[in-house]
Amino acid sequence: MKRSGVIGTVSGCLAAAAVFLMPGPGVFAAEPVKVGIVLPLTGSEANFGEIEKQSFEMAVEEINAKGGVKGAPIKLIIEDDQSKPDVGRNAIEKLIQQDKVALVGGGYSSSVTAAMAGVAINKSFPLLINTGSADNITEPSSYTPSGQMATKKKKQMDEEKDPARKAELKAEMDALKAKSGEEVASIMPRYSIFRLNPPASEYADGIEGFLKEVVKPATAVILYENSLFGTSSASNVEERFKRLGIKILIKEGYDKTTLDFKPILSRVKQENPDIIYMVSYSNDAALLMNHSMELKLNPKLFVGGGAGFTLPEFYESAGKAANKVISATLWHQSLPHPGARQYFDNFVKRYKKDTEYHGAEAYAAMYVIADALKRAKSLEPVDVKKALAATDMMTVFGPVKFVSEGKKVNQNKMDTYVVQWLGGKLEVIWPKKSATAKYAYPVDWAKERK
Amino acid sequence: MDLFLQTLVSGFLKGGLYALIGMGMTLIMGVMGIINLAHGQIMMVSMYLTYSLFTLLGIDPYLSLFLGAPVIFTLGLLIQQHLLNPLLRVETILPENQVLMTVGIGMVLTEIMRFIFSSDFKSVKTPYSNATIFWGEISFSVPLMIDFAIAVALTAALFFFLVKTDLGRSIRATAQDRTAASLMGVDTERITYITFGIGSALAAAAGTLLMPIFYLYPDMGGPFTRKAFVICILGGLGSTVGAIFGGITLGLAEAFGATYVGMEYEDMIGLVIFLLVLLFLPGGFRWLTKA
Repeated sequence: MKRSGVIGTVSGCLAAAAVFLMPGPGVFAAEPVKVGIVLPLTGSEANFGEIEKQSFEMAVEEINAKGGVKGAPIKLIIEDDQSKPDVGRNAIEKLIQQDKVALVGGGYSSSVTAAMAGVAINKSFPLLINTGSADNITEPSSYTPSGQMATKKKKQMDEEKDPARKAELKAEMDALKAKSGEEVASIMPRYSIFRLNPPASEYADGIEGFLKEVVKPATAVILYENSLFGTSSASNVEERFKRLGIKILIKEGYDKTTLDFKPILSRVKQENPDIIYMVSYSNDAALLMNHSMELKLNPKLFVGGGAGFTLPEFYESAGKAANKVISATLWHQSLPHPGARQYFDNFVKRYKKDTEYHGAEAYAAMYVIADALKRAKSLEPVDVKKALAATDMMTVFGPVKFVSEGKKVNQNKMDTYVVQWLGGKLEVIWPKKSATAKYAYPVDWAKERK
Repeated sequence: MDLFLQTLVSGFLKGGLYALIGMGMTLIMGVMGIINLAHGQIMMVSMYLTYSLFTLLGIDPYLSLFLGAPVIFTLGLLIQQHLLNPLLRVETILPENQVLMTVGIGMVLTEIMRFIFSSDFKSVKTPYSNATIFWGEISFSVPLMIDFAIAVALTAALFFFLVKTDLGRSIRATAQDRTAASLMGVDTERITYITFGIGSALAAAAGTLLMPIFYLYPDMGGPFTRKAFVICILGGLGSTVGAIFGGITLGLAEAFGATYVGMEYEDMIGLVIFLLVLLFLPGGFRWLTKA
């Protein structure tokens, strides 16, 4: 009895001493905990990289001011992937081997993120993705040799016209899929990918409701940038439209640095679709809208599939051509997530420009990283991975919890929203319960663009 | 029919701008016998100049042509004088080291601009950026038509300069036979500076004209160097008239490809034509005019 009392007193004293010695902000005894972030800071996606980098930095300063993790500050090591998969792959290799970071975050474009994920799985190193959205990134089967071959077969099958050959290809694909199912078992112990944002196929969930209840289109045209993000989103949207009974008149990819969209848009004009759905990054989104205006395109609605269409830069460079355009989004400052508005206001105050969902993703990701590092038993990859898997917290981006569903493993689930550019401001218009403004529909484009 | 005509108009107008880009490169090629692989990057620098003049001083992009072109001319002149010509006097393993030097210059220019302006995309929004004129159902972009007219005027001026002036004749003489020109009393080294300067100024003009309708980022030089190169080959290396044909052909090929074959194949179509010309018309379109 007495002994335990002594121990109690001693530990009490130690606890008091610990409280007393607790470092104030900026004065840490321990070595900083290094966290690697890979983002496109140069190249065609630099706009997004910049907004995410600024959000990561803002979050990390707040976290360090509140004591960091495990009594040490977090130090970000941000690498530029130049929007190129091979550069991204080298960047994550360097972060893991040379910088010995505790965890890697970031991952903007899907192509780069997929390349990084390959490396992470190989080394069983925890990777928290906050933007790269192609569906297969969180599907372990896509990292097996048979899974990769099955994807190729599916593409062949989709392009094949002859029904006999198509059936043959389907059989081959199914066999490969079954085999990849077995191979997944060997990948799983090393699988270390976590994703905060929903997969691309779900970006249009909110849009679907709006189209079904308000627009009720009969025909559509899908234009998409032809890297992994655009291609993957476009094929999901195509399936969704088919399911809704919307006829697809044209589905066409383009290179995101295209100078002139008028040839393809003239063809779109001739087909006269009800809606034009576009999956674009930043400047291609603005040019598409500008050129649509120059050609007097007149669909019922222009719909953007997230990414470029919500950036403040989009409105700046498309101007009146951007009016009344709607887009899928994952976040808006008006949503009832704790701290969402505060994050937005602080960002505007600090960087003198608006932020949007990409920034919120990065900001939330930093808090998820800090939370996992705090809970992890040690900073070894195995423990960090375990801590990430057990994440269950609220962020400015919404609740975060990694679940496995269908083919996806460690995927966060969340709602998606529809926003519209109304009078130079991005307003939530759908679902109705989250709306900040009444949607504008139908739209007289000729009047908007005077 | 409207679709066909609209494609034709879009391709032709874009081609005019391409011609201007190609002409500068081809002029340098003709005189120095080297491909300037920093051409697109020089154009990019001029676009930053236009952008800065617009944002800092509010100078209209078209007016900045008169300020930007001389500055870029000087830049080109200095590059040739201090970076390219000295290489002629150095013994090296590779005879093409001047071309390699231009690659290096391109990279340095890109990084300098990145350092100053960051990688953000910049654009200049003028009231006329999206102005259009309609003729029936066919839309004509006003800035592209102005660009086309300026491109034609600059081409005419270049021809006048090359054919009628002493300096122009010396440039042509140097292009035809450097040794002979030098024996006839032409200071060929000085001619090379000036030519590089003029070539750069033409790239600068193209960049300035592109600014109101496109956007700007440090890495955009590479793709435009590539386009200029294709135009040069199409037109027959070193032929300025050829460059005009080359530019318009590329513009039309891209537009028709995008409309009738598929947007994704836009670049590929240009490159396929490039390969076909190399195979069957090794002298480019210049052959057609000489035959």
